[in-house]
Amino acid sequence: MEPLLELQGVSVNFSGLQALANVTFNAHAGEVRAVIGPNGAGKTTLFNAISGYVPSTEGAMHFMGKPIHGLAPHEISAMGVRRTFQNGGLFPEMTALENVLTGLHVDIDSSFLGIVLGLREAREAEREGLARARRLLDLMDLGAIADQPVKDLSGGQQRMVEIVRTLATEPPLLLLDEPVVGLSPPMRDRMMEIIRRLAGEEGIGIMLIEHVIDLVMSGSDIIVVLSSGEMIAEGPPDEIRQNREVLEAYLGHA
Amino acid sequence: MFLQLTLSGLAQGAIYALIALSMTVVYRATTIVNFGHGDFVMAGAFAVYVLVIYLGLPYVPAAILAVGILFIMGVGVSRGFIDPIKSGPHIGFAMMSISLGYVLRGGARTLWGREVFPMPQVFDMEPIFLGDLVVTGDALFICAIVAILLTVFFLIFYRTTIGTVIQAVYQSERGATLIGVNVRAFHESMWGAGLAMGAMGGILIAPISLLHPDLGASFLIRGFAAMTLGGFGSLGGAVVGGLLLGVAEQYFGAYINTALIDITAYLVIVAVLVARPAGLFGKTVTVRM
Amino acid sequence: MSRLQRIYYLIPVVALVIPFMANEYLLWVVNAMLVYILVTVGFNLVIGNLGQLAFANTAFFGIGAYTAAILMVYAGIPYVLAIVASAVAGGVAGFLASVTALRGIRLYYLAIITLAFGELMRWVYLHGDKVTRGSDGLQIPQPSFFWIPLDSEMPKFYVFLLLTVLVVKATSNLMRSRIGRAIVSIRDNEASTASLGIHTARYIVVAFVWSGSVVGIAGAMFAALIERVFPESFGLTEIIVHFGMVLVGGTGSIVGSVLGAITLTALPEYFRQFPGMDELLFGVIIVLVLLFLPKGLVSLLCRISPAFNERYYRE
Repeated sequence: MEPLLELQGVSVNFSGLQALANVTFNAHAGEVRAVIGPNGAGKTTLFNAISGYVPSTEGAMHFMGKPIHGLAPHEISAMGVRRTFQNGGLFPEMTALENVLTGLHVDIDSSFLGIVLGLREAREAEREGLARARRLLDLMDLGAIADQPVKDLSGGQQRMVEIVRTLATEPPLLLLDEPVVGLSPPMRDRMMEIIRRLAGEEGIGIMLIEHVIDLVMSGSDIIVVLSSGEMIAEGPPDEIRQNREVLEAYLGHA
Repeated sequence: MFLQLTLSGLAQGAIYALIALSMTVVYRATTIVNFGHGDFVMAGAFAVYVLVIYLGLPYVPAAILAVGILFIMGVGVSRGFIDPIKSGPHIGFAMMSISLGYVLRGGARTLWGREVFPMPQVFDMEPIFLGDLVVTGDALFICAIVAILLTVFFLIFYRTTIGTVIQAVYQSERGATLIGVNVRAFHESMWGAGLAMGAMGGILIAPISLLHPDLGASFLIRGFAAMTLGGFGSLGGAVVGGLLLGVAEQYFGAYINTALIDITAYLVIVAVLVARPAGLFGKTVTVRM
Repeated sequence: MSRLQRIYYLIPVVALVIPFMANEYLLWVVNAMLVYILVTVGFNLVIGNLGQLAFANTAFFGIGAYTAAILMVYAGIPYVLAIVASAVAGGVAGFLASVTALRGIRLYYLAIITLAFGELMRWVYLHGDKVTRGSDGLQIPQPSFFWIPLDSEMPKFYVFLLLTVLVVKATSNLMRSRIGRAIVSIRDNEASTASLGIHTARYIVVAFVWSGSVVGIAGAMFAALIERVFPESFGLTEIIVHFGMVLVGGTGSIVGSVLGAITLTALPEYFRQFPGMDELLFGVIIVLVLLFLPKGLVSLLCRISPAFNERYYRE
């Protein structure tokens, strides 16, 4: 099967600091790929590089065969790579419904003139988007809070809304940056269930950064281990569990 | 002619430097730009006027008293108007400071209407003639006082314990709280200090300019221009920026067009922000997506 | 149509009888309110909805006013076309202003540079003697809206009412769509916006250009209102008035903009007879709003009914 995402020798250098060095791997559709490593290993930098927020100083990146290195974040996102943010990327003043609607932006094809003049085609397109957003929220049992500003929601609900928003356009590749942080254990399990279902049933390629090793071991198909910007291991959980280098990298990090 | 312009430029610039410095003091302490600063400066000058003309005080005690009044006002502003809204959006501070300035300006205009006031002469001194150069008493006075004030300021800032504490809080408020510094009192005293210094600027310029309620606006924009040129947040930069601005105004006015004097500050702002937003001594400030 | 929307459509209909209940002076004040409603709606879009501290509003206002005036005086252009020209000129000015925001300039820097833009324009009006007549002001010939001569406040009222309703409705349409959501998302979390495939630069420009056009139209209306355009009308004091209206009404809210404009046109107008009192009152109102009603007058309405909250979609 053709890889969804191909990284070859990707490096990121911040005025002297080598944040990523020579990272090479491929991600596939329907696969849950976890990226782990001690703090400062370059995990978020990796996501930032893939999604275009940080320029890669060396190497090449391809998504579905097309080059994405050097593109702007919105261009990469429009191609089908969506991500979440460590510190929560929701729009606090908007409601959950509006957040998801914004997530559907690229799929709503109302024209500027149509919008301003209130023409039928624009209103139809907008109405479709609205119905779709409501459906998505209902699917995730979030229908009740759809009209609340997200800043008033609990941490768990916010995470869910962010996932719904990110998934709204059914992107082939999803980058999740610490999706379970701040969630209670039952919610964590639920999140991992959803992630596994998205990959298994919907065929979405998922990459996630995670620190909770149990979840990573039980929930992912492949694990990539970063340390000081370098990729020191790649393989299924069983292999990684016994990898000496990985254990060494984590020594001192109980 | 060139030297003459430079001299007048430096005298004007000295005032701008003082005002820019006072704005920077508040900015560094609270990350707030006091958009009403010009009007507080004007209030300081008016305070001296009232003390001298209506209460008959001699100039120097009146000046000192006015500075004290402005210091107290600064503390009051911080405690009564800035602190209560600190959990709101940052832009609220801007609007609050502008509105307070408005209240001052409106108040001055209500009390004194459309008149303009000449300030009492500080001292009658014959201008000194150095060859082609004319050095007026006022220019000398301003430069001397500002030089003294700046020296005192920087001595306090860099050589005393209080100065070190101020530097520390500038760098990290949280760290300062941990070592027991009362940050609220700090904010209040910095507002007080900033307004007091601004008042000094207003008091110094009044003798060479006419006093009227709209005096504040020109101060504000010069202060901004000086801060922008020197680099927002840089104390030394504010001083250098002020001096350069004063001199630039004189040059532009004489060599290009007198109409440019009023607008030099705006041109400087636009030029700096377009070419080098960090100014001479500041840090980079753009947000890149 | 929801109950609230019915109210919104009813208000201009009811307003049609105002000229028969007010004298010439009061009607002039009402006309001024209509002008400032557009000024505030335009300004609020940039500072409230887009969340950028861009104070170029007086620049847009002045450019709109002078464009209309100059075209009518020197080219004999009919008022209707002058309004269109002002909208275009304002839009261009908006585009220029957006360039600074696009270059990454933010917060106070953006505020200062846009203020400088406004002051530079005012300097141009002041020193462009031959064309703008400088501080003497530029007198416009009596405007006619199509066949209707605007020779008294009543015809002006109906024309202004029409323009205001159309522009506010168009702005509301704009904001209650994917465009409005994109704009607000930039305010709330710009990094996130890009991750959803939204070209943030494009929407920053859209917001600025729309704002400039709306305020440009307001400027053309202003020229007809005061009949003689002066540079001083577009200075630093004016921008404070604009900002005050946005703040008092409620940032980011179209209803708020209307409320703020009406409140802060009426009150200072009454106090204009006492020099300084209007400024003083202004400052006091804003200080009070900031301390006690930070979300503006519209927040009072929201307490009565959540339907007044700004929503970025249409049912």
